Amino acid sequence: MKKLLSILLLVTMLLSVASVAVAEDAPAYDGSEVTISFYNTMGSNLTPVLDAYIAEFNTLYPNIKVEYTSVGSYDDVRDQISKEIPEGIQPNMAYCYPDHVALYNLAKAVQTLDAYIESDAVITRADGTTEVFGLTDEQKADFIEGYYNEGKQFGDGLMYTLPMSKSTEVLYYNKTFFDANNLSLPTTWADLEELCKKIIEIDPMAIPLGYDSESNWFITMCEQGKIPYTSATAPHFLFDNAEAKEFVKMFRDWYQEGYLTTQSLYGAYTSGLFVSTSDIKSYMSIGSSAGATHQRPAKGADGSYPFEVGIATIPQMDAANKKVISQGPSLCIFKDANAQEVAASWLFAKFLTTNVNFQAEFSMASGYVPVIKSVNQNEVYAEFLNSADGGDYISALSAKVCLEQADAYYTSPAFNGSSTARSQVGPLMTKCFTIPDGSDVDGLVDAAFADAIAECEYSIGW
Amino acid sequence: MVDNRQQWKAWLYLAPAIVLLLIFTVWPIINTVVMSFMEGYSGLLKAGGQASFSIGVNNFARVIGQPTFQQSLKNTILLCVLTVPISTVLALLIAVALNSIKVFQKGLQTVFFLPYVTNSIAIGMVFAAMFNIIGNIGTRREVISSYGVINDLIRFISGNPNPKNYINWINNGSDYWANMFVMVVYIVWNALPFKILVLLGGLQSINKQYYDAAKVDSTPRWRVLTRITVPLLSPMLAYVVITGFIGGFKEYTSIVGIFGENMGPAHAPGRMNTMVGLIYDSLEQNKQGEASAAALILFGIILVVTMINLWVSKKKTHY
Amino acid sequence: MSENTTKIMQARDMKKKGTTQKVGKVFGLIGVYAFLLIMAIIVLFPFYWMLISSLKSLAEYRLSPPTFIPRAFLFSNYIDAFTTANLGRLFLNTMYVGVVSTLLSLVITIFTAFAFARLEFKGKELLFAALLATMMIPGELFTITNFSTVISFGWLNTYTVLIVPFLVSIFYIYLLRQNFLQIPNELYLAAKVDGTSDFKYLWKVMVPLSLPTLISITILKMMGAWNSYIWPRLVANDEAHRMITNGLRNAFTTTSGDVNYPVQMAAVALVSAPLFLVFVFLRKYIMSGVSRSGIKG
Repeated sequence: MKKLLSILLLVTMLLSVASVAVAEDAPAYDGSEVTISFYNTMGSNLTPVLDAYIAEFNTLYPNIKVEYTSVGSYDDVRDQISKEIPEGIQPNMAYCYPDHVALYNLAKAVQTLDAYIESDAVITRADGTTEVFGLTDEQKADFIEGYYNEGKQFGDGLMYTLPMSKSTEVLYYNKTFFDANNLSLPTTWADLEELCKKIIEIDPMAIPLGYDSESNWFITMCEQGKIPYTSATAPHFLFDNAEAKEFVKMFRDWYQEGYLTTQSLYGAYTSGLFVSTSDIKSYMSIGSSAGATHQRPAKGADGSYPFEVGIATIPQMDAANKKVISQGPSLCIFKDANAQEVAASWLFAKFLTTNVNFQAEFSMASGYVPVIKSVNQNEVYAEFLNSADGGDYISALSAKVCLEQADAYYTSPAFNGSSTARSQVGPLMTKCFTIPDGSDVDGLVDAAFADAIAECEYSIGW
Repeated sequence: MVDNRQQWKAWLYLAPAIVLLLIFTVWPIINTVVMSFMEGYSGLLKAGGQASFSIGVNNFARVIGQPTFQQSLKNTILLCVLTVPISTVLALLIAVALNSIKVFQKGLQTVFFLPYVTNSIAIGMVFAAMFNIIGNIGTRREVISSYGVINDLIRFISGNPNPKNYINWINNGSDYWANMFVMVVYIVWNALPFKILVLLGGLQSINKQYYDAAKVDSTPRWRVLTRITVPLLSPMLAYVVITGFIGGFKEYTSIVGIFGENMGPAHAPGRMNTMVGLIYDSLEQNKQGEASAAALILFGIILVVTMINLWVSKKKTHY
Repeated sequence: MSENTTKIMQARDMKKKGTTQKVGKVFGLIGVYAFLLIMAIIVLFPFYWMLISSLKSLAEYRLSPPTFIPRAFLFSNYIDAFTTANLGRLFLNTMYVGVVSTLLSLVITIFTAFAFARLEFKGKELLFAALLATMMIPGELFTITNFSTVISFGWLNTYTVLIVPFLVSIFYIYLLRQNFLQIPNELYLAAKVDGTSDFKYLWKVMVPLSLPTLISITILKMMGAWNSYIWPRLVANDEAHRMITNGLRNAFTTTSGDVNYPVQMAAVALVSAPLFLVFVFLRKYIMSGVSRSGIKG
């Protein structure tokens, strides 16, 4: 009797779970007239591209009116939407970062996309052709896997976002200098140490490497070394461990030796140090692949660049476990009482992320890379990549390097508190790096880690 | 005894302001108080279906128990106590000087108007160039690109060109009081244009007869300042001091302007954080309950200080 | 203070110190000018920075250490500023909001300050203290509730939402009240005896006498419209109502989140120029003071 009861209980539980999953259905777009709003961060260099493709989208779906707003920075978009959600006036879709979605999820406001992706409904477009409402198997396979998987890093395995355009961190180096001195590129951090020593021997005034973002650095090191950082389930904050302290102490030593610096330690843009033509400069710079034009020196009076820039992948801890960060906006869709608005938003988001020509043009205009592999077959984009060099076409070069490491992207879990972890580990690095020689380095590093964990725990604690 | 007609008239004059204040100021304040007692209140959580939040003082307890609370409170109070008197005295001297000169008067007055049309973004950026040491200071192998304009100036004035002759103002390894000094200079300098404007306006409303009398007597400048100008300007001075304190307790953007989002030098992030900084941190994570509690704590502090200010100014102000 | 005592004292001093005082006066004057000049340079530095930044290339702008004189003067930044952002529209929007809100705000401020400075009513002190207290709560917290309120009023994306919520400023009411208090009470009592109505007295005597302060308020309020950013972005971020700072921040942001500061500075300088001219014109009124002839203090 007891057994039967528990089985019955189990069955009902399973059924209820199943019914919840079924409830998340995805009604297909039925051609009705809807207006969808779209918040992004596009500046005036990108809106013309978007305008052109909204027009093309409208030849297929003339009844879907897309209204977009350039809200400002990514943080501005987050702040705006988190104020709008409680009022119920949030947009239909928006540019987002994983941490933003974790915040919106407090209000359960973001539409999960699994049912839309899996939908096999066929809808007819205005030109008489048809398309599958969801993603076809080819379309799914076309996404660069690391980018696509970012959509389901929220702990429940469900898909919340589609990747829009991406970038990663790359190593910019002074190719002219490297060639002249027969230096080879570092593939591991150990290589880098040797390289820094050599560079200082050649140029005693140099700070060989500038790293733009301390928090990216910390998180990437954790991924490269398979060191616990955070977890989507409690306990969330795992980075207070011996391995993390070990690499932090190693880099502290390098910083103290003058091998490297970061933006907040140096007191100015590390890209400025890299492109500097004064006596004090760096010969390597790790920064966003989307910011390549900032890593290019200004042309001299004769119209030539003072040195040629090379771009390579960042050093790794373990050559067998290559990891680089994935950055750049994704798209999320918000729940709405009007299912047709959600359906229309899905169609538009799908259009932006799977349309080869749009992805190509948008990437060339923005410096980000496309999120689908087939863009490489686009003639214009292929030509763009072929033009890559360390001068006028530096964006193409960085895109090329970025695309080459497509299999190395990692995602870190996004949850309520993940943004705090991110904002704590950056200052944690600088705090540890600046511990002076002769003091109790181990003790102070321990204390700094404990403080950072305490701040993180405080932020989620109740 | 106040007659009824005047009562009625006074409220008529006040009516437009009161209506608008009720909607856009009083109602938000009530809401702030309510939110501060709803434990863990967040607009997003509420929108997500959490219908009720327990009532209690936990928001306040959490704000006070925050690791950085004491330091933030100390910074806030220090900044206020240091910047308000300095900026007020300087602004008074400038306003009086501007009012008294004849040659180049127009030119100089115009110069002091220019800060008003300077965009706030530019103001924030200037200071980095002034005090910031660019390089890897404090390491075994120091390589310095720039010591900053102020350190260059110190070297020039002291006649000691040795590169080691510098002060580490805001960078890695800098002293708390050096940080504080820079903040005070920055805030004073930021506050000056507004105070000069207000005091100049006030000076113009002083009856010229007082000065004419002093002129006939050829009273020394200092005496005119302390015996005539300051007493007659006391309502405006009281205003500048009280609003200065209220503004000073809300200092936040100036810290971000100099130290960036880390709110402190590289070796001590968060060291220069203020009370409003704490409120911003809570708001960013959509914790309006805690943010409201922090705001009310700050409100309590400002209220006490303002009461003291008003009491003093009542005694010293000549109306 | 007793003017007579001072007078006698001074007369005695004068006989002795005639020449010493003259020399002292010259030195004093030099001191005053030196002081003003130094302060002027310090106060002007950001303005100078804005101008030189607007003429740099982005690469030069990002250089460390920064250059104090641009290597090459890039006047094309100004052309870029004009072509990238819809400057005309942004300017008109801001001008409209600035002028309307300044005018309405001045009227409300004058009425309220008058009531607090000259009229007697029950609870005056308490009400004023309460008003002062509202200044002490950080405004960021008002934003959330006010956002709700204006949505329920249906004011999103209108000029109204940019103007009305900020019409009453305790800051300015307090300032003007202080100025009204400076005006001798005898004037008011004399006017009462003459049978002048409060309203007439306010507009004919107090307002003219407070012109410098009213102009100060005008300047502050106008600059407020020019610099306001957070609220307009939240409630009226559409093409038709967008304000200047908001528009400029968006227009020059590159994809990687960097801002093209030189072009942004050029745009800021461009849209601030007309404002500057107006202020220079207003300066005359602040500085020339108010004629007090015929009014006994």
